[in-house]
Amino acid sequence: MAESTMANGNANTSDWQDRYYHVDQVLDRPGPRTDPSFAAGEGVKDFLRNKCKILVIGAGGLGCEILANLALTGFKDIHVIDMDTIDISNLNRQFLFRPKDVGKPKAIVAAEFIMKRVPGVKVTPYYGKIQDKDDDYYLQFNLVICGLDSVEARRWMNATLVNLVDPENPESLKPLIDGGTEGFKGQARVILPTISSCYECSLDMLNKPTAFPICTIANTPRLPEHCIEWASVLEWPRVHGDKKVDTDDPEHIGWLFQVASKRAREFNIEGVTWSLTQGVVKNIIPAIASTNAIIAASCCNEAFKIATSSAAYLDNYFMLIGTDGVYSYTFQYEKRDDCPVCGGESMDISISKEWTVERLIDTLTERQDIQIKKPSLSSGDMHIYFQAPPQLEQATRPNLEKKVSELVKDGGEITVTATTLPFSLSLRVTFT
Amino acid sequence: MLQNESQDIEQASAIVQAHAPDSKTRRYDRQLRLWAASGQAALESARILVTSASATSTSILKNLVLPGIGHFTILDPTVTAPADAGNNFFLNGFDSVGKPRAAEAVPLLRELNDSVEGVADTRELESLLDSDMGREWIKSFSLVIAHNLSAKTLDRLAELLWEENTNPPLIVVRSAGFIADFYIQVHKHCVIESHSETNPSLRLTKPFPALQAWADSIDYDEVDPTEHAHIPFPIILIKEADAWRKEHDGNLPISYAEQKLFKAQVIARQKKLDEENFEEAEGQAVRMWSEKPVSSDISTLLTFASPAETLPKANYAFHALLETLKLFVSHPNGPGALPLTSTLPDMRTDTESYVKIQKMYKEQARAENALFKKILKEAFPDLSIDEGLVDAFVKNAHHLKLIRGRKFGDFDRQRTELQSGLEIFNKEVATHVALSALFNLFSRGSDPTSITPESLRAEVNTLVGQNSAPLNEEVEEAIDNAVGEVARTPTADIPNTAAFLGGLVAQEAIKLITKQYVPINGYCVVDLVGSWTGLVGQPPA
Ligand SMILES: [Zn+2]
Repeated sequence: MAESTMANGNANTSDWQDRYYHVDQVLDRPGPRTDPSFAAGEGVKDFLRNKCKILVIGAGGLGCEILANLALTGFKDIHVIDMDTIDISNLNRQFLFRPKDVGKPKAIVAAEFIMKRVPGVKVTPYYGKIQDKDDDYYLQFNLVICGLDSVEARRWMNATLVNLVDPENPESLKPLIDGGTEGFKGQARVILPTISSCYECSLDMLNKPTAFPICTIANTPRLPEHCIEWASVLEWPRVHGDKKVDTDDPEHIGWLFQVASKRAREFNIEGVTWSLTQGVVKNIIPAIASTNAIIAASCCNEAFKIATSSAAYLDNYFMLIGTDGVYSYTFQYEKRDDCPVCGGESMDISISKEWTVERLIDTLTERQDIQIKKPSLSSGDMHIYFQAPPQLEQATRPNLEKKVSELVKDGGEITVTATTLPFSLSLRVTFT
Repeated sequence: MLQNESQDIEQASAIVQAHAPDSKTRRYDRQLRLWAASGQAALESARILVTSASATSTSILKNLVLPGIGHFTILDPTVTAPADAGNNFFLNGFDSVGKPRAAEAVPLLRELNDSVEGVADTRELESLLDSDMGREWIKSFSLVIAHNLSAKTLDRLAELLWEENTNPPLIVVRSAGFIADFYIQVHKHCVIESHSETNPSLRLTKPFPALQAWADSIDYDEVDPTEHAHIPFPIILIKEADAWRKEHDGNLPISYAEQKLFKAQVIARQKKLDEENFEEAEGQAVRMWSEKPVSSDISTLLTFASPAETLPKANYAFHALLETLKLFVSHPNGPGALPLTSTLPDMRTDTESYVKIQKMYKEQARAENALFKKILKEAFPDLSIDEGLVDAFVKNAHHLKLIRGRKFGDFDRQRTELQSGLEIFNKEVATHVALSALFNLFSRGSDPTSITPESLRAEVNTLVGQNSAPLNEEVEEAIDNAVGEVARTPTADIPNTAAFLGGLVAQEAIKLITKQYVPINGYCVVDLVGSWTGLVGQPPA
């Protein structure tokens, strides 16, 4: 292989002859399906290695893999954001971390590791929240890859990049590549903000989180999970008041485990274990290195194809199920006209004339395609209900018991906002 | 108050000490939730041979070292080239150039997990295949993984491992640029814990006596409203089935119209509109016409049962259990069905009824487990089988899987199969054949620079053979796309493809080793230009 005489697209001293022998085979000539606009050769290598700036959100299971792949394929200016520190349970898959790193910030340890292993690559870590950064920060990147396990953070990132799009400035459109895994399953997708369907468009595709009705937990427990929920949702606040459960504190888990076990014994329910207790209260999702590798590779492959035009990029969704053979499905997820982030049209909702504002709020928090926590409602200039600040909450609280139909006319619009989301949702309400 | 608090703390730390997981369990927590301690133990005793330290090979190994396999050996005689140092995360960049590739990769893989043993071996695979000792050594591993071997060497390796059904399985991985495929060569692979997400039969069409007695004891007109709203759905369905049979000559609903009527009758039993247990029964009514004593998948499986005299050496325990299962199903004292499941779904009912029905299922399942073990002892008096294995088998009897594989390359040797495959799965089979063509050319000594779309196309034509009818346009296009892409990147092991394969192949290796979940049977084809995967070349049924 050393006999190759292909030149390098870079004067960087760390780029030894043949460093990119493998990747260059893709960049030096088009394939049969490559778009004619692909300019093979030095230009594309120069862009990839010297100009392209890419942001990675998350330095966890997907993030570690994404950083390594990007570095090897020739991205040299990589930024990474993560607010977490390393836990021992990360070590079965987050391969840039070692036992000595437990407790340190993921973004910083991961960046140092990559720079040490792959010379000439600059990884700039930020140990903090994505919400700390403003539009100018996000505008500096050519591409964003998200490897997160939090729905909320992804919604924020998605909405932020959609809002960033300025039709006058094509540079403001930042392709977003998003990956996610659960056990042997995962998905990767390419989002062109405002052009293709966004993360919010497909919110109802997510598995519904298992929520146990409070009356089951309180009165008719049947499963060990019901006993654990009883311990954490009802007993903990009763006994400990305002003190929150720290799901990483073994004494807290121990307390919940003990209380749940006692309740299970009372009701002859089997199966409360430490592991299940922890799984339920932390909402643990099984995770393995191999699935993360597949999905991260898929994300990086799309990033590479977008950055180089060496092949068409994914349009727009790839899902994989590895439990029974290898099953995957590549398809185009359609943009939703009433998507609150990229759709522009308001969402229609039909409710009974008798519904109170409180009931509407409960419904909104339960709907799979909305998933909003603690929403505030207004209509035109009128504040219907506001969660904060306290004065406004107090002033609008009496409205909770009023009927929606007393406050808004049939076909009228309600604007829904939440502090956790950088967008507002507009609802067109009709009464039945 | 203070005293209470300190007692509380003392008690809490006692519980933490007694139950909190140790550091190994904490490290592996996210994977133990998928394959439990039994799967982990299997991984820890696995010994894996990988025939190179290419980027793809080390990517695969990374995903096996992290979850904690017992041992790996990298067999690689080459020294690190500058190109290797550029695309492989498990080499020390330019510092590794000129040093043995295997020895450079092993420590960087081992540092991922202290408990894994790793060895670098610089011998030639070809020369090992030449000697008895070498061949025995290869066969001593529990799994062999081969990436981008020349067709000739690969055929020799596949031949060796196929000779006996007790030899280790072989995973063949081939890649070029954005294109790849991989294959598992294994005679038979038995899966007890397939983790199927389908519901096992609750045996509602043929209830066991205790369950039937409960259903009989309930008179809808007599029970009080609270109890009525808490009758578990299996009881509701059994009662409805009894009523239906009386009206329909002992039959259950068959036609769609009958099924619809049955559901309507279930929901009509509601005394109040919000009785969720009846709604649930309506939703679960499909069980009454889909549940069979033995599902068709398991019926097929039972045809592979082997009586004591013909018990195979490989997977003998599984085959003995399969034979026992066959005897169990037809046993005069048995239920005439697969052993009852003891895991019930949640139901809209109160605690007392749920615990009661759960206990009934558990007791019945225990009795059937005992009968199963009795039959096993009678049929195989000399066999020693781990009791835990028998219990797992009985528990998972509804979801057993048996993979019957074939030798690597058999698909390619069947021209008619290749031809008809091309017609149906044109791009998948075209991609597979393009890779076969590439490695055939390499094994005949072709220089990478001589690999062109034309030379590949000629080799594809030889592989596929002259079809009586000309290939249709879609097939032509699929072949052109595949050979064109392979010709673009004949020797490229690009990092993203390596990582993608690293994940997919490790998933399959984990499934093979743990005997949990279901591996592929055929060639998994990967095209990262189109971002798709497919499966071709499954053995004919
Ligand atoms: Zn959208």
